[in-house]
Amino acid sequence: MKPSVSMKSIAKRFGAVQALAGVDFDLRPGEIHALLGENGAGKTTLMNTLYGMFPPDVGTITIDGREMQFHSPQDAIAEGVGMVHQHFMLVPTLTVAENAVLGERNGPLLRKRDLATVSARLAELADRYGLDVDPRARVWQLSVGEQQRVEVLRALYKGARILILDEPTATLTPLETERLFPKLRALAAEGASIVFITHHLEDVISWADRITVLRRGERVGTLRPSESSAGELARMMVGRDVRLMQVVAGERSVAGTREARRAAPVLNVEGLQSDGDRGTPALRDVSFSVAPGEILAIAGVEGNGQPELEEVLFGLRAPHTGTVSLDGSDVTGADPAQRLRLGLGLVPSNRYRRGVIRELSVAENLALDRIGEAPFGSELRMNRREMVRQAEELIRRFSIQVSGPDQLAGTLSGGNAQRLVLARVLSRELRCLIAAQPTRGLDVGAIEFVWEQLAAARDRGLAIVLLSTDLDEVLSMADRCCVIYRGRLVAHWPREELDRERVGLAMGGASETAATPSLSVASGET
Amino acid sequence: MSVSQATARIIAPPQLSRRLRSLLASAGAVLLSLVVGGLLIVIAGGDPVDAYRALLDGALGTPYGIGQMLVLAIPLIIIGLGLALAFRGRVYNIGAEGQLFMGALASGVVAILLPAGFGPLLIGAAIVAGVLVGAGWGAIVGVLRARWGVNEVITSLLLNFVAILIFTYIVRRPLRAPGSPDLQGRAIQPEAALPALPDLAVHIGLFLALALVPLAAYVMARTPFGFRVRMQGFNAEAAQTAGVRSGRIIIGLMLISGGLAGLAGSLQILGVAERLDPGISQGYGFTAIVVALLGRLNAIGVLLAALLIALLQSGGQAMSVIEGVPYAIVIAIPGVFVVFLLIADRLARGH
Amino acid sequence: MDWSEVFGPDALVVLLSTSVAFAMPTALAAVGETVAERAGVLNLGLEGMLLSGALASFLVAYYVGSVALGTLAGVAIGVGLGALMAFLSVTLKTEQIINGIAIVLVAQGITIFAFEKLFGGGDQPTVAGIPDIDVPLLHSIPGVGPVLFEQNALFYVSVAVALGVCLLLFRTRFGLSVSAVGESPAAAEAMAVSVARTRWLALLVCGGMAGLGGAVLVLGQLNVFEEDVSGGRGWIAIALVIFGRWNPLFVLGGAFLFGFTDALQIRVQAVSGGIASTVPTEIFGALPYAVTLIVMVAATVWAGRDAQPAALGVPFRKEVSA
Repeated sequence: MKPSVSMKSIAKRFGAVQALAGVDFDLRPGEIHALLGENGAGKTTLMNTLYGMFPPDVGTITIDGREMQFHSPQDAIAEGVGMVHQHFMLVPTLTVAENAVLGERNGPLLRKRDLATVSARLAELADRYGLDVDPRARVWQLSVGEQQRVEVLRALYKGARILILDEPTATLTPLETERLFPKLRALAAEGASIVFITHHLEDVISWADRITVLRRGERVGTLRPSESSAGELARMMVGRDVRLMQVVAGERSVAGTREARRAAPVLNVEGLQSDGDRGTPALRDVSFSVAPGEILAIAGVEGNGQPELEEVLFGLRAPHTGTVSLDGSDVTGADPAQRLRLGLGLVPSNRYRRGVIRELSVAENLALDRIGEAPFGSELRMNRREMVRQAEELIRRFSIQVSGPDQLAGTLSGGNAQRLVLARVLSRELRCLIAAQPTRGLDVGAIEFVWEQLAAARDRGLAIVLLSTDLDEVLSMADRCCVIYRGRLVAHWPREELDRERVGLAMGGASETAATPSLSVASGET
Repeated sequence: MSVSQATARIIAPPQLSRRLRSLLASAGAVLLSLVVGGLLIVIAGGDPVDAYRALLDGALGTPYGIGQMLVLAIPLIIIGLGLALAFRGRVYNIGAEGQLFMGALASGVVAILLPAGFGPLLIGAAIVAGVLVGAGWGAIVGVLRARWGVNEVITSLLLNFVAILIFTYIVRRPLRAPGSPDLQGRAIQPEAALPALPDLAVHIGLFLALALVPLAAYVMARTPFGFRVRMQGFNAEAAQTAGVRSGRIIIGLMLISGGLAGLAGSLQILGVAERLDPGISQGYGFTAIVVALLGRLNAIGVLLAALLIALLQSGGQAMSVIEGVPYAIVIAIPGVFVVFLLIADRLARGH
Repeated sequence: MDWSEVFGPDALVVLLSTSVAFAMPTALAAVGETVAERAGVLNLGLEGMLLSGALASFLVAYYVGSVALGTLAGVAIGVGLGALMAFLSVTLKTEQIINGIAIVLVAQGITIFAFEKLFGGGDQPTVAGIPDIDVPLLHSIPGVGPVLFEQNALFYVSVAVALGVCLLLFRTRFGLSVSAVGESPAAAEAMAVSVARTRWLALLVCGGMAGLGGAVLVLGQLNVFEEDVSGGRGWIAIALVIFGRWNPLFVLGGAFLFGFTDALQIRVQAVSGGIASTVPTEIFGALPYAVTLIVMVAATVWAGRDAQPAALGVPFRKEVSA
């Protein structure tokens, strides 16, 4: 019963994009194999073909020497393949046991007895592998880390011997990550094969037996961690020398920073309390302020209240208590339109849901928040010609790759869409900018661009709140940094005191100040 | 992108091949529907060719016929324009029928009770009353949706029933025509009646309807309000983030579409029935939905679709008299239109 | 007006008995709609399905003489329209709201056409009513007995079907799939539950139940068919789903409330002397609609929209991106 997977010459095209081109990949029993590459490299696509989500255009998949033709995940599950997706494929309103049972074909009825059997089996597996979860809990009640455990448990319940984890550490605290991998190691020791997809070098070096690097849909190489270094892996990932770290750090005017700290804060937030969508508290007593010409980074693992904070700051969600003021005026009850007018801007975390309207043209999207205002017209008439003219200029200035201003925004890649959003936001008269996960899902070139723009805006005197899950980003960009954990701000450092380990620990809730109530993080304080 | 995609399909931006394909989809749907209509005629024992000829003859053959067709078209155009705008914002006002009746009621009351000495002012007052009350009836739905997220399809629909019953009550009791059978309301004062065009048998409300078409086109394509409506229709969250006040848009759209429905009702009372008559609408509020969809939610399309359907319905009467084919066919066909349109639309877009 | 004629002990039994009977067509449509909406499809064509089912069942019962066959015909037509809705909404993925409205328009048009073609101009045709059946033992229970267990066969069939579908939703794998598909279609698809297939089936069930509701209305209660016989019950059913927070048992409760209001207004009018009375008949006519409206609004305002299936109204497209 030793699984071994062999994928040969896998190719897949989506429309005009060649996502995979002739990729070979193999998996040995008992190994933990990392699939490394930056966003868009094709890692998830490759594993999706293994999981039966869609067939490859070209190429073969062989499991245990038998060639496979998967028509659906059901086929793959039957052959012992299990996948834990980056965005959990769990139904929030159902219980853990119900989620596990979903899709089974054991007769039409689902009596209480059946669910009890399932729960027992789940509990047994949970015990064996140290995945602590209550089968009767409803998924929406569980934390992110717990939900991930449910996903793994479910895969095991379905008999997975080949386990694929897509970006498993993206939503985990460093501590939870530390706990996850030994469990995976235990599974591997029993003969299971594990693939984890990631773009985090540290995880790969620490935990993988072998590493396969993909770049732009092609396999660059497969090697052992001992045979390589972080630098070389990064180079393989990106294809050129990476200057990720240096972009902002060295190019900043130190004098500006000091001055900025003495100026009066632009954004003042006091005592914010808010619930999330399911009625559970998301923000607990959050207070901070930001001065002009500084970037306040709020670091945190996904799921600790950042979306709610983003929404409350911009008027998309009403807090229970607390105030938000911009330049001294209270905007707590103001809607986004008013906040825009007062000079608050937002780069939303979900650019396709909130940032861009796909059915409209690039020119229209670039003027989206200024329809009816000069120079784009008045309340009685829009000036489209001016919209197009300004759009052309913004396209040039921000290097947005489009055939023309009339191209539909829905056809833009992630990087270009984000350039569009930035162009729109930064072309306003802003006093304060909220940048929420601005580089999520972008390739390195786009990431650099975003960082450059934010740094330049900061140098021009803008106050920026940067919400980020990416440690590298935080370490590069922050003038001051604090950490959000379970809806509270739990740590605060000025740039000089920033340290990868410290921030990482705080993000995981394990810091000196974790036990104290939320800090009030005002500029000028260090 | 999902729900908005279909709406996007219908109101695609002006790119030539897109327009062309959209036109072909409409044409295809119309053709297929006429074929189905032909089939129904055969089932009913008539000859399709003769029947359709009688239909065209009846509608366009005489000045009187043309006039009747235009009379039918007027409320369809007016309400259709309002619904086209509302649907663009994904505000599905199914209550136009009720808003029409409430507007008609208000207009009729003013036209009956206000002192006659006002002359043309009386007409103006009656129309304004109709528009305001129709808008108000629609606003109820708008507020419920904007404030509490209550589904506007159901609320507007249920209010239809309530509106029609209120109208019927007023006709039956307080404002019943003296000495007449149960369901005849009082006549409006002669000064309040809309004058008719000299040769065609249609009231001057026609000009109002036609004037609304370019106005609506302008609002939809050139005003920030029209643009915000589209933004909201495509992606309400992104629109909100960009500063669009969705509550205002929703209520605004219900006020406009309700007001236009009220206007249509008002014109029916003042120009057609000239009394409070429950028969002033045989489902205009619903047929206008078809008009809006068939017209691809834009002003010219609505005009053309309204004329087409008016043609069908007015000619249909002649057809049923001459060929013995049930009038109900022309009621069935608009619905069939939309189904075929949806299919043809999807096929034309590929995907 | 003598209210004891409405609410006195004997009168009350009659009132409740008629309420429950009146409620069934709407209840069937509403429970069917619950299934569809829990699967994520907003089916606004319900009124058309109910109406078509009513006509089909009436025609078959009239010409063939069999109530049973008529009922089956009603169900069949309902299923057919459910399939049309599924084709448009799930396969073609066009806007669900428009699909539903289109179906209502088509159904209304073709129903009127067919009816006029067959009976136009003549006397209003009727079908023979079906007898009440007293359930042995149960119908003797004081209070509840005469209300619930002295109804006709179609009533019992309706109740069985409605409760059966509740069981379907809560105790079968299909029901679980329905909940999953309406809440997180992507998750369901990843677990090899076909979203398309589940939604198709849900709509077939919904259509069938609406068709059955039409049959029950015409064959079990009114015994005639006329234009717009459905009287908005399909729309009320949709409102009831919202009122019942997508829980079929609460939806049944809401249907009863509607049936009660309906029966009440008829009874009051009968007692007070009808058209010539002081209280306008239209007020009573409007009562069921107004009550439904208020109740639906109240449910939405106070309970919020959390219970609404997350994917309701949103066509599902399989994510096929890298």
